Amino acid sequence: MIGQPNVGKSSLFSRLTGIGVISSNYPGTTVEFDEATVTMDDVTLHFHDLPGTYSLYANSDDEKVVMDMLRDSENDVILVVADSTNLESSLVLTIEVSELGIPVIVALNKYDIASRRYDVDIDGLSRVLGVPVVPVSSKTGEGVSDLLHAIAGGSAKVSDYRVMYDGHVLKYVEELMRIDPTITWGQAIKLLEGIDLRIDSVSQEVKDRISEMSEEFIGIHKEPMNMHLARDRYGDAHIIVMEVMVRKQTEPSRKDRISEMTINPSTGIPILIAVFLAVFGILIFVGDLLATLVDDAYVAVVGSALADFGYSAGGELGEAIFTGIDSSISAILGLVIPYIMLFYILLGVLEDTGYLPRAVVLLDRSMHRLGIHGNGFIPMMVGFGCNVPAVMATRVIRSRRERLILCTIICMAIPCSAQLATITGVTGKYAGAVWVLAIFAILIALGFFSGCILNRFLKYEPSNLAMELPELQTQSVRNILKKTWLRISDFFKLAVPLLIVGSIIIELLVHYDLLDSIVEPMSWLTVTLLGLPAVTIIAFIAGILRKEMSYGMLVILAASVGIEDITLFMTAQQFIVFGIVMSIYIPCLATMTAMYRELGAKDTVLVSLASMTVAVVIGSIFNLVLSAFM
Amino acid sequence: MLDVGNDSREDYLINILRLSEGGTAVGTSALADYMGVSPGSVTEMLKVLKREGYVNYEKYRGVSLTESGYRIARDLRRKHHIMERFLTNVLDMDKDNAHEQAHIMEHAISNDAAERICRITGTNVDPDCATCTDPCTDSVSPVSISISVVEMKVGDSGIISYLSTEDGSVARKLISMGFVPGREVELTSVVSEKGARVIRLGDATLALDRNMASAIFVDVR
Ligand SMILES: Nc1nc2c(ncn2[C@@H]2O[C@H](COP(=O)(O)OP(=O)(O)OP(=O)(O)O)[C@@H](O)[C@H]2O)c(=O)[nH]1
Ligand SMILES: [Mg+2]
Repeated sequence: MIGQPNVGKSSLFSRLTGIGVISSNYPGTTVEFDEATVTMDDVTLHFHDLPGTYSLYANSDDEKVVMDMLRDSENDVILVVADSTNLESSLVLTIEVSELGIPVIVALNKYDIASRRYDVDIDGLSRVLGVPVVPVSSKTGEGVSDLLHAIAGGSAKVSDYRVMYDGHVLKYVEELMRIDPTITWGQAIKLLEGIDLRIDSVSQEVKDRISEMSEEFIGIHKEPMNMHLARDRYGDAHIIVMEVMVRKQTEPSRKDRISEMTINPSTGIPILIAVFLAVFGILIFVGDLLATLVDDAYVAVVGSALADFGYSAGGELGEAIFTGIDSSISAILGLVIPYIMLFYILLGVLEDTGYLPRAVVLLDRSMHRLGIHGNGFIPMMVGFGCNVPAVMATRVIRSRRERLILCTIICMAIPCSAQLATITGVTGKYAGAVWVLAIFAILIALGFFSGCILNRFLKYEPSNLAMELPELQTQSVRNILKKTWLRISDFFKLAVPLLIVGSIIIELLVHYDLLDSIVEPMSWLTVTLLGLPAVTIIAFIAGILRKEMSYGMLVILAASVGIEDITLFMTAQQFIVFGIVMSIYIPCLATMTAMYRELGAKDTVLVSLASMTVAVVIGSIFNLVLSAFM
Repeated sequence: MLDVGNDSREDYLINILRLSEGGTAVGTSALADYMGVSPGSVTEMLKVLKREGYVNYEKYRGVSLTESGYRIARDLRRKHHIMERFLTNVLDMDKDNAHEQAHIMEHAISNDAAERICRITGTNVDPDCATCTDPCTDSVSPVSISISVVEMKVGDSGIISYLSTEDGSVARKLISMGFVPGREVELTSVVSEKGARVIRLGDATLALDRNMASAIFVDVR
């Protein structure tokens, strides 16, 4: 599945295959390919959802994923997903793809909107392009089964459409095909644009000839060939759209006015600030409410059942293990999950309305100071959910330097939802909401300084902001809930089993009196520098696995020494220091892996060590200052 | 239109246009080199053209086209391309030969005939028709000199005339996002003088930072 950014490929992929993937209303949601298999009419279809790409050019790493897919794999059919509300631009990519000589089928997505605005001559479009065109709506599901039948029935065709290219270009193409008969027409066109789509690249002779041709062309036309070819495609696409689409009426422009207000600085900046205050306000206050409700519900439903079960199954040790499991699960369910869920719902709303790209535009200038562009804002927002997709989302940025700065800020200064939950739910609850704000302030300052410092010391690379602003839309509750579940299901699937294992290990260690001797060697860090109980080192190490494990382990550790009420285990001051260290130190394993893939080993190690150091330093300072005043 | 018999003046105008694409003034020696004539005769001709109001010319400062000079030059070049396309695509002539023939015909052919030939070869937008909604006829309508998007005012709209940037990757990104000569753009808002520009392009709305926006030159209506 190929299409321009934000045309609805991932939504369509979910509809076609039933596999949930994240879709959001901004370009660059998908940066890696997803695959899934469905069986239709006894045919097994294997789909690949790809990142969006404006053209077959590969300007950034996410677009390279598409080019590699076109080059390396044997796709039987290319499903071009076109946005029927912006057909001209989608057609240009359709034409580019059609030229490659692979069977194509076109899905005219967002047809629910387009059919209200335009009369579209679908058959006419299909005739002109010489490939089947199926109108679909991934929102309502209309047309999706027709599309599946069409693909399964093998109706995709190699297009015979030819753009009216310049005479010189056509001559060049013929010549290239003569020099090397294995070059196809479509490949030759791409070669002239400076793109090699072949598996084994072309001979030096062909390369030399192409550079001669390019020079000659510029001499004649006073513009580079790639621009001329693009111009010809847009010319053709424009004519096709004029022929097959008639505008019905111009819609009332309330959306346009709201959109305008969000970008215009005098109204946009107050809106931006209000949105942020609202998000964090809701997170802190509604999160607290939700946490209490869930906790009460847990006590009412589960009660002492788990501990009783443990006792009947394994006596004293069994009871201890199950009490640990019980309290850590209730901690995760009651404290961590409500905040995480709430955050993802809020993020989902921001993503789906199409507001985020507008914030990007507003923030672009101010973010230059950190050495990054407005584009960095969306990965940062995603990072408040989980750092892994955030690190991957930096792919939309071309400059490696900016990606490094951004990843550093994401790992150090942006708390992921599990860390947010620990800060707001744990430190906030046991030490007071002021401390939540204090930690946020420290993190903001930290992000700012690390950005500024890296910006100073990394070699400058120019990079630019170019971002499509999608139409604002009313969000679908279904999509937001689906996304939220996709994003938090891991917490249930992974965190709960891990906590059970952790609880068993801890209880066994306590039972055999091994725990103290294990944590002792690190007490210079935990006790001396940070002023925390020595066993917290285990919570920190568990946090490297998954961040929400830290607090879960803390509860298990408290339970293991027979303390049910966590406030007796640590003081308010200790919760503050714990919260600070937790939100800064070493990214979790999954984030480190993602960073390793995106930036390589060296930078990953550096960022991890730096975050460790910074966390210990700030934690120790807090410990000292707080001890002096509290 | 200049009087018949002024082929050589017209040649000057079209060559100044070719060399000044991108908005800079052309040095007289560069022009002399390009046209293969002596600097002395260039200076003479420029003085004549200046008197007639087709060029701005000052010694040591170089030469640029005035509004009316620009209109004639573009019209000529449009005809040149129409003829060249006709000769290569329809008559299957080789391109060097076609270029020479077109060079002669561009001065002789009437607007009407050029328009009819253009319709035969198809309405593909050529560099000189870049500003036209109807490339076969439109360049007789008044054209103005292109300005960059950064110089446009909110609410201005026009047609992209060319891209000019040192940085190849900027041009590539712009082209792939659809900022291609011949397409219509409207500046819908400006975040701040140094900040991003929000631009309507076809059915899409896009934001570009100042640097990218400054690479796009538009014929504003
Ligand atoms: N009205 C309507 N909205 C749609 C339709 N399909 C997708 N959308 C919306 O369009 C937006 C983009 O959808 P995605 O599926 O994320 O698009 P994508 O092409 O995968 O985007 P990238 O991964 O960023 O390239 C989302 O907000 C969808 O809800 C449709 O058929 N009708
Ligand atoms: Mg996607």
